[in-house]
Amino acid sequence: MAVSVFGELLITAGLVLGLFVVYSLWWTNVIADREANKQGDRVRDRWAGGPGNIDTKDGIGFLHVPAMGGGEVLVKEGTSHKVLNDGVAGYYKDPIKSALPEDKEGNFTLAAHRDGHGAKFHKIDKIKKGDAIIYESRDKWYVYKVYATLPETSKYNVKVLKPIPKESGAKKPGRYITLTTCTPVYTSNYRYVVWGELERIEKVDNKRTPPAELR
Amino acid sequence: MYGWIWRHLPGNAWVRAVISLVLVLAVVYVLFQYVFPWAEPLLPFNDVTVDGQ
Repeated sequence: MAVSVFGELLITAGLVLGLFVVYSLWWTNVIADREANKQGDRVRDRWAGGPGNIDTKDGIGFLHVPAMGGGEVLVKEGTSHKVLNDGVAGYYKDPIKSALPEDKEGNFTLAAHRDGHGAKFHKIDKIKKGDAIIYESRDKWYVYKVYATLPETSKYNVKVLKPIPKESGAKKPGRYITLTTCTPVYTSNYRYVVWGELERIEKVDNKRTPPAELR
Repeated sequence: MYGWIWRHLPGNAWVRAVISLVLVLAVVYVLFQYVFPWAEPLLPFNDVTVDGQ
């Protein structure tokens, strides 16, 4: 009798762990995508008619990375679980404060989930040197070109976020973008980093025609 | 354990099966809604930022 109860508990534990995998890799994506779409729609609505100020609560703009497949990623302030779990990319406030794309120089540093919660940076390993990373704000397209990737680094390596990220080979002040997420997939042992530098800025026209890289 | 629950459910086999299904769904709901969201930040699968900690 005791043995069969013990066996049933083991089976139950196995089922619960299996369900946790389903939750992590599927359900959190469902929830996060729904939330990200809702918040993204709010931002676009405000852009379409609302006041011109950037509002950091719903998000400041959208990230497009053709190499990671279609779709846009809403960008919001902060990199806490609470922010990132809504299926968005967050820009760092600490340990090193991110610059914003409109700043004259600095590093626009972003983080997003690799798996679960929207998994917006899942295919970060598909980004190669020379690929485009495009940030869309209310009135400008910022086109960055990837010039360096770091497939594996320690999570303590906060230097990758510096205004001049030396590890990427950057030497002088410029307008950089940095994407960080975890690696290898399904774990958080290390961090994956991709660096880009601003190539050009295009004004948004009244049809919001995307830059050539997105067509 | 499961045998004990089955024997203590009321009604015939069909009614018991329906009640069992409802119980299973309730457990899954509680897990997805409360237990997993609580457990997830405690597990090292989803840290994506670089930080000093």
